[in-house]
Amino acid sequence: MKSYMRGRWQRWVNRRIPRSDTQAFQQKNIFILPTGAGVVFGMLLLIMLITGINYQNSLIYLITFLLGAVFVGAMHQTHRNLAGLELTLLRPGEGVAGDDIPFRFRAAAGKDDAVAIVLSVEDSELAPVHVAAGQAVDVSLPIPSAYRGYVRPDRVRIETRFPFGLLKAWSWIRPASAGIAFPRPLKAPDLDATVTDGTETEQARSREGNDHADLRPWREGDMSQRVMWKRYARSGQMVVADWEGEQGSPHWLDFNAFPGTDHELRLSYLAYLVSERDKKGSRYGLNLPGQMIEPDVGAAHAMRCMRALAVWGEEPPREMSREVHGSRSETDTPDQLAEHA
Amino acid sequence: MALLDVLKSGESDGPMPAIPSKALMWLLISFTLLMVPQWDRLPIWLIAACAVLAGWRWLAQFGRVRLPGRFLRIGVMLLLIAVYVATVRGRFTVDTAASFFVLAVGLKWLETRTSRDFYVLFFILVYLATVSFLFHQEILWTLVNIAGLGTLLVGLQVLNAPDLPAGMQSGWRRLGWLLVKTLPIVVMLFVFFPRMAPLWSVPLVSGEARTGISDTMRPGDISNLAQSSERAFRVTFGGQLPVYRDRYWRGLILDYLDGETWKQSAYEPYQPPGKVDLDGGVGDLRPAEYDVLMEPTDQRWAFALADSRAVSANIVEREEDLFRFRRPADTSVRYRLVREQENSGTSERLSRSEVRRYLQLPASGNPRARALADNLRNSGSDMAVVQSLLTRFRGQEYYYTLRPPEMPEDGVDTLLFDAKRGFCAHYAGATTFVLRAAGIPARIVVGYQGGEPGAGGDYLIVRQYDAHAWVEAWVRGQGWIRIDPTAAIAPDRIESGLRDAVAEEGSFLEQDWASPQRYGDLAVLQWASLQMDRINYQWQRWVVGYQGQSQMDLMSRLPGGFGMKELGYLTAGIVGFALLMAGVVSAWQMRKSERHDAFRRIVDAWHGLCARSGVPVRHGETPSALADRLAVAKPAASDSTRLFARMVNSHYYSPAPAKASEIKRMRRLLSTMKKQVRRSPTDPLKQHGKV
Repeated sequence: MKSYMRGRWQRWVNRRIPRSDTQAFQQKNIFILPTGAGVVFGMLLLIMLITGINYQNSLIYLITFLLGAVFVGAMHQTHRNLAGLELTLLRPGEGVAGDDIPFRFRAAAGKDDAVAIVLSVEDSELAPVHVAAGQAVDVSLPIPSAYRGYVRPDRVRIETRFPFGLLKAWSWIRPASAGIAFPRPLKAPDLDATVTDGTETEQARSREGNDHADLRPWREGDMSQRVMWKRYARSGQMVVADWEGEQGSPHWLDFNAFPGTDHELRLSYLAYLVSERDKKGSRYGLNLPGQMIEPDVGAAHAMRCMRALAVWGEEPPREMSREVHGSRSETDTPDQLAEHA
Repeated sequence: MALLDVLKSGESDGPMPAIPSKALMWLLISFTLLMVPQWDRLPIWLIAACAVLAGWRWLAQFGRVRLPGRFLRIGVMLLLIAVYVATVRGRFTVDTAASFFVLAVGLKWLETRTSRDFYVLFFILVYLATVSFLFHQEILWTLVNIAGLGTLLVGLQVLNAPDLPAGMQSGWRRLGWLLVKTLPIVVMLFVFFPRMAPLWSVPLVSGEARTGISDTMRPGDISNLAQSSERAFRVTFGGQLPVYRDRYWRGLILDYLDGETWKQSAYEPYQPPGKVDLDGGVGDLRPAEYDVLMEPTDQRWAFALADSRAVSANIVEREEDLFRFRRPADTSVRYRLVREQENSGTSERLSRSEVRRYLQLPASGNPRARALADNLRNSGSDMAVVQSLLTRFRGQEYYYTLRPPEMPEDGVDTLLFDAKRGFCAHYAGATTFVLRAAGIPARIVVGYQGGEPGAGGDYLIVRQYDAHAWVEAWVRGQGWIRIDPTAAIAPDRIESGLRDAVAEEGSFLEQDWASPQRYGDLAVLQWASLQMDRINYQWQRWVVGYQGQSQMDLMSRLPGGFGMKELGYLTAGIVGFALLMAGVVSAWQMRKSERHDAFRRIVDAWHGLCARSGVPVRHGETPSALADRLAVAKPAASDSTRLFARMVNSHYYSPAPAKASEIKRMRRLLSTMKKQVRRSPTDPLKQHGKV
């Protein structure tokens, strides 16, 4: 029952706050409730009122109304603190899975000061920032990641309790863009055991002599470069040449080099190898099923390889919610259901 | 499972942040301010302990000293609570409860570490400020209390945003604006919120002895009271002020002489304190009526002129023409009385038990006074006895003094025949003694005599030094008549007050250095003090005294016949209206600020153009994605729209808000785009399809 209510509530919130990299906070998407201290304060006001009634003391009435008005005024002010603020996701971050991935946000205040704004996601929370009216402040919010792949916080909470901490106004931004978590590098086992070692001379030989190649029928996952197209034109058979030495070549980091190992583990090994090679400054390429990155050197190349490792086999998260067709506009879209199942 | 939840929640909350020094400073200032109005009721040890503990906390903030460990803390706590329990001695009043709050705040200083502790202190202090209105209701103390609460609220702001840059730091200004905006609502609520009758009976505010007359009188008692210039009560008359010598305010009657001490013989059984009833009558005063606004005495007796009848319901008339409150006067209370025509002569007779009561004397002692009484009895009628006694006081060298000698043994004899110096209590006691010895029923009346006009001259201020004791004797055919020996000895006391009566002696308020009344010759000081009193009096009558009946009275003057129910509706209406107004105003402001943002307006215009061209904006779509779609729909505008999207992007990613020149460029670009869109009215794909 509780989870059902929570599910409904979250779907309702998600309808109000569509996925977007920029979110302006205003009347319709700001929520405001008293904090624990605010509830106690409300009870205190009630006790004060009863004291005033029982002792027939006008000044206690007066002070109760005064503090009550302060409470209501604080509600207005806490709300205005957030209203008019615009939060933009400048750059979704990149990092290693398991680490916090910094997402860069910009908070731009409207015509009111936005004081003591706290950005948080799950259990990671930023120190309060203050944005003067008409100004903007950039902050980095670390988003915790558990797995490699696309990282996109379902919601980033933005909250303020200023001025008195008796009320909290909050809302969410639901970023459309996703950051990337690289596979956590794990020291790869020695390649010697699994692939033929290619010294410089052997490699040269193998490049020259095509007769070293093993020919085998094409199977799914083979790269088109290896298909012997001439033979295909001749006979109509798709035959793949497995060049001896190419797989084991130090130039190529190959997904298939770790047979029998879990896919994620292979990616971690490869991430380790990429960073190793990059550190040494040697030339390497990356061979993943369905994707091949030609050998190259440099930081940009390393980054490209890491990104490829990170998102291999992953669907990019949808940029925006799908448009609704037909009359069932009130029913929830599948991805919302999936998110909160 | 529950334990696990608790652990988890404790973990997720993490350690609460420490209190910033500035917030702690405001908290300490506020505590000090809120203690000020309570200075006269808090015991010294408690103030000292609070000062030490607060100082300890303040030093610990800067690492000068360490906060005490658990054992020391518990030790301090037990010690202070033991002292508290010893001093309270089982009384339960608001006073003792409020002292306990103060103690709790003091002890809390030692464990004020996190913001949660700050809130605990905040709540206690707010309630302490509330309770302190039960002790003092003057304007000054009200303002001090409100200032204390304001400081507390500023402290809360600092706590919630400790590192605010200087430009936004104006906690007082923010609070001030908040109050200014909400003040009309506060005033309307104050006027219209229905003043209900008390829901239940509450503990007395204070059980401490206060300055004021008491129900026993030893010869020296009232001269001690004469050293105090505290206000006893204030009176407004419907008609003319009575002349000075008629201002006898009867409080209680002492008719039992026990050795040297006069007491009340009537046994007053314990009554639980009733509900608070401060409705002291409403409407304009009729000519014979008068309103008394009495300072708290914690006693049940009310003061009244002779031959008065109760008008307001919060006092009841007792035998002997005295008035009693239904609940001890633990806060200042107003009541209304009406004076009747003096009835000259009565045919009533005293019952036998009454005669016995008013003739009671100790079996022995004061032989010379008894002999004098025997002598006087020979002079004839009761009236003649009284007259000759007064003649004796008038004729012989009796002195009225605030510095009477000690009269330990046979006090009446010593006063009448040896010392001949005394205060009103001495002479009243001696007169009653002699009259009783002469067989005339007599009793001592204790109360006040006199009262100075306040500023404007429309009300009287009666102070503690106006305390007085006089005698009433039963004269056959005339009933109880007032006999004041002091009038015979020092006519000035009765005609113009104590100051003039002891002017030669120079003993007026000689121990009360701070009292403005002491410096009667400084006209400016007198004037200022009286003006202050008038302001406070008006405040007390119209603001503090705005209670059930006064509210009904005010409402009955409004058109429409407001009752309690209508007031309830009205209050709900005010609150609802205020909330609605706040909502409307903030929505309107939001609107305005959106319309004022030129950048947003031009982006909106672009979105509009896109929508008209058949590519409505989707939620969360980036500008470049939208531009791409528009470029497909209207190829002629593809360059301009892509450039526009780049500019929008660069605005989003630039540190500063868009400059006016950029806005201008974007506007020009947009108008170009519009023309281009018009020029390529159809979609190339559709064209293709037609062919």
